[in-house]
Amino acid sequence: MSNFNIIAKTKYAYIFSGILTILSVLALFVWGLKFGIDFTGGTLMEFKFEKNVPANQEIENTLKNLNLKSLTLQQTGSGSVLIRYASEDDKINQEVIKEISEKYADAKNLRTDYANASVSSELKSKSLLAIFWAVIGIMTYIAIVFRRVSYPVASWKYGAGAVIALIHDILITVGIFSVLGHFFDIEVGIPFIAALLTILGFSVHDTIVVYDRTRENLQRSSSGKGHFPEVVNRSLNETLIRSINTSFTVIMTLIAIYIFGGDSIKYFALALLIGVTFGTYSSIFIASALLVTSYNLQIKKK
Amino acid sequence: MSIGKKLRLKFIAVIIFAVLVGLIAYPKAVIKIPKLFNVLNKPKINLGLDLQGGIHLEYKADVSQIDNSKVAEAMQAVQDVIERRVNAFGVAEPVVYTTKSGGEQRLVVELAGIKDINQAKNLISATPLLEFKTEKTDVGQQIPQDVLDKTNKENKAKAQSLLDQIKNGADFATLAKENSQDPGSKDNGGDLGFVKKGAFVPEFDKVLFDGNLKNGEVYPDLVETQFGWHIIKKIEQRGSGDNLEVHSAHILISKATQPAPKTTWVSTGLSGKNLKSASVQFKTQGLSEPEVGLKFDDAGTKLFADITKNNIGKRVAIFLDGSIVTAPTVQSEVSNGEAVITGNYTLNEAKNLVKRLNEGALPVPISLVGQQSVEATLGQSSLEKSLKAGVIGLVLVIIFMLFYYRFLGLIASFALLIYSALMISIFKLSGFTPWQITLTLPGIAGFVLSIGMAVDANILIFERTKEEIRKGRNILSAIEEGFKRAWTSIRDGNVSSIITAFILMEMGTGFVKGFAVTLIIGVLMSMFTAVVITRTILRFILGSWIENKLWLVGVKKDDDSEISKKR
Repeated sequence: MSNFNIIAKTKYAYIFSGILTILSVLALFVWGLKFGIDFTGGTLMEFKFEKNVPANQEIENTLKNLNLKSLTLQQTGSGSVLIRYASEDDKINQEVIKEISEKYADAKNLRTDYANASVSSELKSKSLLAIFWAVIGIMTYIAIVFRRVSYPVASWKYGAGAVIALIHDILITVGIFSVLGHFFDIEVGIPFIAALLTILGFSVHDTIVVYDRTRENLQRSSSGKGHFPEVVNRSLNETLIRSINTSFTVIMTLIAIYIFGGDSIKYFALALLIGVTFGTYSSIFIASALLVTSYNLQIKKK
Repeated sequence: MSIGKKLRLKFIAVIIFAVLVGLIAYPKAVIKIPKLFNVLNKPKINLGLDLQGGIHLEYKADVSQIDNSKVAEAMQAVQDVIERRVNAFGVAEPVVYTTKSGGEQRLVVELAGIKDINQAKNLISATPLLEFKTEKTDVGQQIPQDVLDKTNKENKAKAQSLLDQIKNGADFATLAKENSQDPGSKDNGGDLGFVKKGAFVPEFDKVLFDGNLKNGEVYPDLVETQFGWHIIKKIEQRGSGDNLEVHSAHILISKATQPAPKTTWVSTGLSGKNLKSASVQFKTQGLSEPEVGLKFDDAGTKLFADITKNNIGKRVAIFLDGSIVTAPTVQSEVSNGEAVITGNYTLNEAKNLVKRLNEGALPVPISLVGQQSVEATLGQSSLEKSLKAGVIGLVLVIIFMLFYYRFLGLIASFALLIYSALMISIFKLSGFTPWQITLTLPGIAGFVLSIGMAVDANILIFERTKEEIRKGRNILSAIEEGFKRAWTSIRDGNVSSIITAFILMEMGTGFVKGFAVTLIIGVLMSMFTAVVITRTILRFILGSWIENKLWLVGVKKDDDSEISKKR
């Protein structure tokens, strides 16, 4: 069994997490997120060219007459080109397909995603609502599960601690994608929201395992053996290998998806990868530390 | 029953279960026994559009013109019509359903494995719009008679002056070019070519054929017809008798007339939505011209009776897709709710029209608001790539487990393989239940991710077991303790994953749903395999033989010495 004094390092963990969270919020304010068409409305098409892939400039000229708004072209490197533009009506999509297939006989429309503005704005609000409900649901669940453990810290504080830790994970993941969006044009769509919600579940899962051990150790030592910070620290150590191993297996599968899973789910896997890594970190260094901090404040008040 | 016997039965059940799900998941294993293979190979995973190629279309229905209480009914009708249309072009298992989203009525159409996506889209939205319209004649603004007379007097005088000029030797062709108001002939110098008797209006004919004109002679008087005043020149003639043809030229000065009354068609409110059925029928028995018979519903019958009653002697037109097909004159009131379209159809045309009419017109207009289409080859490559990722992920996890937990890891890996086979079996067998699972690309991602999470329960148990061993328990009781103590953590952790997965599912969009469904099933099934199956196998296999082989469970020798110290 490992025996690290994790709780003693709380100060550094708080500073590290604080800086990362602030940077993430800053990135969000300055650059925002680069939303995909599921959220902005518009069209994304992928064309595969059997022979030569035409240069972006050439395709741009082909589509010039259609006056597409905010047109961007992106070469995928595997013989296909992504075409994005703002669209309000499906007619324009038909025209784009027509223009391209008339000009290039070898062009094949691999996929088309089109979302009308009404669809996208609705998705946006739905996504935010989903995250909101997930947080509420998890907080309630933890409060119920830990309701019997109200000594020495109130059971709702377990819920609050887990939620602060997962908000931390979410914020940092979103912040990193803000940077990725700004510098590498990586877009954020529905898959990203799904990833965030999964991170929520996973991060809490990890935190719960530690809390669970804390609960068990508290009940066992109710006779007064051990003092709360020590009990928490022991619980952390007892679950450390498990937390790391579990995350390690999940991270291995995610890396497999990221590398081999194809373009469509690459960034979905990346978001999960970032979130799961920080989720593991926060359940070890933040979630339990928060319980201790609140306990210490309680003592001071007395 | 003794505990040992019970355990043996349980173990045999696990083995049978493992073989069963293994075979369903991978029937190729018994390809040498064709009978068994054929049975096992029947259930197939229902692949999503993103994996087999296809199109997902989302339409918004405009129900603003419809009474609130009738919206549900109208949407059902839209769904029925689109279903019929979609069925007409023979896609395997098309999916059509209506949803409500943010106060909007939506219709979703999903077609798998379709080759020409654009053609499919056109077929869906091509509405055979059937309308009945009545005739309305619009006389327009009348020109006062005296104005008309005055204009015509001037016109006639102009014609007369042209005739005078010709008589004085002016060139006929030049004057025709400059003055003729017959757009068809003026540029040829008024030349009308050779014609037989009867080709022109009688007044004109009379001059050409009975006027005794010589070749090249101009008729000395103006000839008045319904068109205006003509100056006629006979150029030559050929043939004789019935074959007599005259080559002539003319200059026309038009006559001003009252504007012709315009016929416009007015909607009657009777349309395709009142149609009960359409059928091909024949005018008389036997091989005559095919017609399309229409039968109206009750409201349509009443409307049609009113229309025919009020329009006896007038025409009622049948419009299809905005163009007139036929406009018969109403002879009498038709109260039996039947009408006929006669339109010089061939049998095939009539059949097609009937098919389209029966497919029906949409009661409310729809417009496309969202589309996701994936070409089949892209779907195929996504499938291959994600499966490859899955296999690699599985292998990595197994290697890790074997390395870290040794013998326990081996059992856990076995459980993990059973888990994977079980998941694939569930995907396949769900097709026989009302809750068929469609496996999408995110679904596979969820599945692969769940492999990583599935071993979590085992890791929790094994870590706990190691801990108990270090505390001084023997391996067997430590394992029992590990299962017991780890259970609350496993349960609590998984419940939180399930909560978020359910919320994901409620979001309802394709990507998220596919992911959430496999994640939920994965979490539940992995609890079963990691806890029940691993435990049964371990209990059965482990015995006193393992007692002093701590390395088999991944506890090191120096941990061993620690144990004795604690003791």
